[in-house]
Amino acid sequence: MPVVRVFPDASVASTIASAGASPRDLGTLRSVTNENDENRTATARVTRAKAAATLNVDELAMPTKALQSKKTAVNANPSRTRAALGDVSNVTKVDAVEGKKPAGRTNLVSKAAQPTGIKKTTTTTRPVAEKKEVARKEPKRSGPGSIAAPKRKVLREPETNAAAKKDTTEELEPTRKKLHTDAADIKTKTDVNNKEEPVRKASLSPAPVAVEPKPHAAIPEAVGILEGEDLDDPLMVAEYANDIFEYLRDLECKSVPNPQYMSHQDDLEWKTRGILIDWLVEVHTRFHLLPETLFLAVNIVDRFLSEKVVQLDRLQLVGITAMFIASKYEEVLSPHIANFRHIADDGFTEAEILSAERFVLATLNYDLSYPNPMNFLRRISKADNYDIQSRTIGKYLMEISLLDHRLMAYRPSHIAAAAMYLARLILDRGEWDETLEYYAGYTEEEIEPVVILMVDYMARPVIHEAFFKKYAGKKFLKASILTRAWSKKNAHVYGIHDIDLTLDEVS
Amino acid sequence: MDGKRHAASFQQLEKLGEGTYATVFKGRNRQTGELVALKEIHLDSEEGTPSTAIREISLMKELKHENIVALHDVIHTENKLMLVFEYMDGDLKKYMDTQGERGALKPPVIKSFMYQLLKGIDFCHKNRVLHRDLKPQNLLINSKGQLKLGDFGLARAFGIPVNTFSNEVVTLWYRAPDVLLGSRTCFLAGPVSWHYNEDQIIRIFRIMGTPTERTWPGLTQFPEYKTTWQMYATQPLSSILPQIDALGIDLLQRMLQLRPELRISAAEALTHQWFSDLMVGQPGPKQHPQHLQAQQMMHPHGVIKQTVPSQGNYGGY
Repeated sequence: MPVVRVFPDASVASTIASAGASPRDLGTLRSVTNENDENRTATARVTRAKAAATLNVDELAMPTKALQSKKTAVNANPSRTRAALGDVSNVTKVDAVEGKKPAGRTNLVSKAAQPTGIKKTTTTTRPVAEKKEVARKEPKRSGPGSIAAPKRKVLREPETNAAAKKDTTEELEPTRKKLHTDAADIKTKTDVNNKEEPVRKASLSPAPVAVEPKPHAAIPEAVGILEGEDLDDPLMVAEYANDIFEYLRDLECKSVPNPQYMSHQDDLEWKTRGILIDWLVEVHTRFHLLPETLFLAVNIVDRFLSEKVVQLDRLQLVGITAMFIASKYEEVLSPHIANFRHIADDGFTEAEILSAERFVLATLNYDLSYPNPMNFLRRISKADNYDIQSRTIGKYLMEISLLDHRLMAYRPSHIAAAAMYLARLILDRGEWDETLEYYAGYTEEEIEPVVILMVDYMARPVIHEAFFKKYAGKKFLKASILTRAWSKKNAHVYGIHDIDLTLDEVS
Repeated sequence: MDGKRHAASFQQLEKLGEGTYATVFKGRNRQTGELVALKEIHLDSEEGTPSTAIREISLMKELKHENIVALHDVIHTENKLMLVFEYMDGDLKKYMDTQGERGALKPPVIKSFMYQLLKGIDFCHKNRVLHRDLKPQNLLINSKGQLKLGDFGLARAFGIPVNTFSNEVVTLWYRAPDVLLGSRTCFLAGPVSWHYNEDQIIRIFRIMGTPTERTWPGLTQFPEYKTTWQMYATQPLSSILPQIDALGIDLLQRMLQLRPELRISAAEALTHQWFSDLMVGQPGPKQHPQHLQAQQMMHPHGVIKQTVPSQGNYGGY
């Protein structure tokens, strides 16, 4: 499906050079650029940023503008605003022309969504007011909750399929399992600690967080068997590991965005967000940033959009600013602002980015303490003997949670657990034993709804091309290709039958 | 921390410290009269909010503990960022200079400060935060004898590599030897020019003894390992610190282990026997030990000459 690239052209390498990146960085950037360019068509070169710039829809101080005038902007000049999106949207042209929101809707300037009719389901629900949305949803499958009946069975089954076709590299499992005899202990402990409810800011709508994670809190000392050999990784240091992960679990409920925020975004839809995030994946790859930075950047985008209404032509600014902030927080050497400006094809000035930075930071109250799913993945990987294959596939699966908004409601630890679970299932690495369950903090049953969504995402047509391509290379063990093939084959096992529809069409 | 206050809410008093990235003033809340420390961060016109400030604010907001200086508020203005901290009377460096006998404090004071320092560090580590710049100038002290960790400008949530190439000021004096040796931990040092490192590591060896492959397997693999190191014998700490009792020396010995895997953690150290006479009743020592209250505190802004070994002096904030 011809998704148009939103990424600027090959000038990136040279612009970065002029921006003063180190020779080391430049070298690597150049190679990436070239590699990517081979696959780029001429028509794809127009970027949203470019379009936005040509249209000159900004010069608006981002904060106030974004908050106050998007409705007028959309209505007063729908075609112009749409032109920017026109580059990137090709799925529902009808929507694009008429604008997303029904005209009768008031309350457009509100900071947060109204708590409208919300159900406790795994899929995001929309306010009833949005008839179009509701109508579109109808053909959709009924959400993972309803499929969940066969539970364990369902999840076991594909394993045999996989066994036949996948490599047989795994021999380590049997020994590891023996380490844990006190699993019963853990379970009991767990049940006592199920009370955690994600804390959400009052200004947010009381969104139904899909399937409340039930983390296994503090675990008896007896299980610390695997600890001890990780001198290089302070996160794994036995003494503090439990305290730290307990703390991260506590922290993560505070940094979950409002999974319903699109209902108060008049100018945006999930599809648009998907395009933005896909572009950010590409930016992230080009800048050679740490995996943590991408997760933090997307978390910043989503928490910001949970709080503020943003115009379409400002969305990319939010994205690039989030990446800018995340880099400062996470990276050893954060790219200069000029690089961010260039990569957004000079659609925004540096002054705009800096002003946006201040606004975003203030909006988030400087809370960047987002428990990164990478930390949890590493922790689980420990119980998986740091198997490089499952970890790599797991990384890809975890990043699905960035692209597929339906996974937004889940905690990072839950995403990491599901990613590792599914990676091991696909690679036929044996059962989810007590050790894995302990280090992941989730049982098979708790993981299931997330796994179903991941399979659902992968089985459908590829709409996030940069993301797919990133993981299609050898470096990532062709994770996206491998898992997609597996998912298409096994989707029916999870009750997913409409895999010809895209994510945008079903959500 | 809701940003309701603005700069005008505080009366700016004298300057407490200054560095390349911030200036710290004493301040007074006009409404309540409460004393505060105002850390003004200059916003870079090119790169915007410094990464140090982003990390510091984000981490300090999480770290609420009696032995960590409290961040009350963050105030934004056009081109600067003002962090409002609880006011502390001075830092340990000043305290040692004014109250100590040629820098040396009385054993009960040392013990109290040590305990509070470890409590603060332990809390940081449990919350996966590394301060990375612990030194007397960053340990703040108030007239109640409380000690609190300050200046988290170089702190990081860990699991992430540190800033190895930035122009951030890094004090080497209080760095662990394995870090100085370029150990492949996520604290990886590296940035600093080697002769500083070299000088620092030799100072450590002079007291702790020069390690060998035999006393530290794997030592020769470190990037900064040098075959040219002068060999020093281990000095008994008790001869260097005669005023500290045997238990105290034992703890210190454990804390100064060259090899990180042998070094005692803050959590373990807190349970060391040396502190047993501090543990009155429930958790932790009494908040304000008698001996400290009896002791005269430093002048809040005395006329003490300051010999600060690092460039960045933010008055401990």
